[in-house]
Amino acid sequence: MELQLQNLSKHYGKKCAVDNINLHLVPGVYGLLGANGAGKTTLMRMVCGVLKATSGNIRLNGKTQQELGERYYANLGYMPQDCRFYPGFTAREFMLYMAAVKGLDKKKAKSRTEELLYMVNLQDIADKKIKSYSGGMKQRLGIAQAELDNPSVLVLDEPTAGLDPKERVRFRNLISGFAKEKIVILSTHIVSDVSYIADTILIMKNGRIILQEPMGSVTCGIKGKVWEVLVPESKADMYNMQFSVVNLHHENNMVRLRIVNREPPAPGAVIVEPGLEDLFLYYFGEEAKEEKLHVN
Amino acid sequence: MLIKYEFLKILRKKSTIIIMAASFILTALLFGIQIIQYQVYNENGVIKGLAGIAYEKDQYKDLSVSLSEEYITKTILEVQQLFKNPDNIGYDGNEQFLIGDAYWNSIAPREKLLNTISKAYDSPDGTLGYNKFRNLDIKNGANFYQAVKLKIKTLLDDPSGNLSACQKEYWSSMAEKPGTPFQYGYYGSWEIIISSFELLIFAILAVCIVIAPVFSGEYQAGTDSIILSGKYGKTKLVTAKIISSFLFGIIAFTLHVVLAYGIIFAAFGTDGWALPIQIANITIPYPFTFLQAALISIGVIYLILFAMVSFTLLLSSKMKTSYLVLAVLVPVLFIPVFLTPNGTTGVYNLVLFLLPYRAVMPEIGKYISYQFGSFVFNIFSVRAVLYVVLTLIMLPFAKLGFKKHQAV
Repeated sequence: MELQLQNLSKHYGKKCAVDNINLHLVPGVYGLLGANGAGKTTLMRMVCGVLKATSGNIRLNGKTQQELGERYYANLGYMPQDCRFYPGFTAREFMLYMAAVKGLDKKKAKSRTEELLYMVNLQDIADKKIKSYSGGMKQRLGIAQAELDNPSVLVLDEPTAGLDPKERVRFRNLISGFAKEKIVILSTHIVSDVSYIADTILIMKNGRIILQEPMGSVTCGIKGKVWEVLVPESKADMYNMQFSVVNLHHENNMVRLRIVNREPPAPGAVIVEPGLEDLFLYYFGEEAKEEKLHVN
Repeated sequence: MLIKYEFLKILRKKSTIIIMAASFILTALLFGIQIIQYQVYNENGVIKGLAGIAYEKDQYKDLSVSLSEEYITKTILEVQQLFKNPDNIGYDGNEQFLIGDAYWNSIAPREKLLNTISKAYDSPDGTLGYNKFRNLDIKNGANFYQAVKLKIKTLLDDPSGNLSACQKEYWSSMAEKPGTPFQYGYYGSWEIIISSFELLIFAILAVCIVIAPVFSGEYQAGTDSIILSGKYGKTKLVTAKIISSFLFGIIAFTLHVVLAYGIIFAAFGTDGWALPIQIANITIPYPFTFLQAALISIGVIYLILFAMVSFTLLLSSKMKTSYLVLAVLVPVLFIPVFLTPNGTTGVYNLVLFLLPYRAVMPEIGKYISYQFGSFVFNIFSVRAVLYVVLTLIMLPFAKLGFKKHQAV
């Protein structure tokens, strides 16, 4: 199983949302990181065939979307960002409806629906109308429908957005469970979500993939550029304005800052092991800081 | 399976229930009011509603007759005899008419029949009614059916009609077809039915409002990307959406028809279904019974419904919200309400008679025809063909509209 994106671009008038992307994906979990507006959703929608590329190709096992037609979509599971449902349907009805849209026969549709509702822990409220569900329940239903026909390509666009930490952990575990033998593209701007489950990190900025590295070595590029320094509280704001501060921790009248910078930010600063958040901040700087504030 | 769920999606919406309930109430009111407002007169005054209907039906007991030349001659003679007695005659300064017992006993119970007969002898615009009989020469019999032919010829030859030789030939030949003598009888319900088809336009509108979100509702709700990425999202699902919309349209519209005509039949009965439509207007050229005329008219209205459903689906597949769909649909349905035909020929009139609101009116008494070369077609055929063609053209575009939709 391989999914190739070849010279993929999407333009909205003069604005370039996705700029000449080339990717070769094989089974594994791909964490697609990028700030809001980086082009992640546009890219995923093109992968899912619901948005036409301005130029370029998407090939599954060597054949284009157009050549494969229904067979392309049969290999696909998609959970869109802010997944919406029919409020008058129950979860079970929605799953059976989506099973019909995905072409599952009646018997398989029923068994798969029950199996997935159980896996996402919605079996007890499966006959309640979706309009009564919480955000977390809806997200779980969203991933359950994406998994209905056990697709070989699973595309999850911001699946954990709006979830509380407990739900996020639960969700990560669900995705890990579903990910075997599949190409999973998981888009998010919440770094911790992918740090646990992704095999490969893709970083997207201004419509381009600027980094594609295995999870294990993704932070190598910023080794020696992440520092910790203890500064007086009164100087914390100054450092925050001057450098990319990943973390800030108060210790008595001092503040311990974690800073991504090429040079030591202050005398006495010590190099620390870089993490994914450091990498994110390294690439997105101010944008990432703002998003971090939103997430926290 | 997909059709079932798409149908459920339409039915489960609160708006569907509200719109359908409002539309059923409106239909019941529009048809019910014709019963409440129905009135007949006798010497004691007006009799309204169901009592009036029952009274009139009772009057018709003796009027289930064959309109043979003998019967018509005898009837005209009876009226002429009444006019011979000066005590029976009143004068309003304008015209003379029968009064007192002569009117209430001999004219009033069969005035509709007398008016039908008199039309054969009256001028095209004449409304003399039984007064026309007073000076009619029936020494050699009434020659009623000859007079009908002559009346139709006069109408066809009227220069204001602007009919071509082919069209005149077409209508003359069709007017030969109704079998004679006409059988007369009570046809209360059918008279209302054939004159109130346009009231069903509200049912068509209600159906269109309900199905307006079939595609655009998915865009509006943000569910488009999830279904379009399914295996059958761009193929079988689109067909299922179209089929379920039609299914809903047919069921909902049929329920409206059943409700509307159920009310009329409950009050007036179904008597007269097999009678020739000419007894309501002797110059109607179509050789139909009341039932046939009603079924053909309803059949055409169903085709209009299908075209409107297709048009709604086409708009729905192209527009981002259901409100935009309605913003286009409502004017298309209702602007013709404000346009009045000024004849039965000419491009303006011929187009107007084909527009949705006008097209639900059968215009069965008018000689409206469409000529293509030497071929002449009546309005029923043209409407039927036009709306079938429109349906067949618009549906593939509706399908394509959703298939090509970009979930931005």
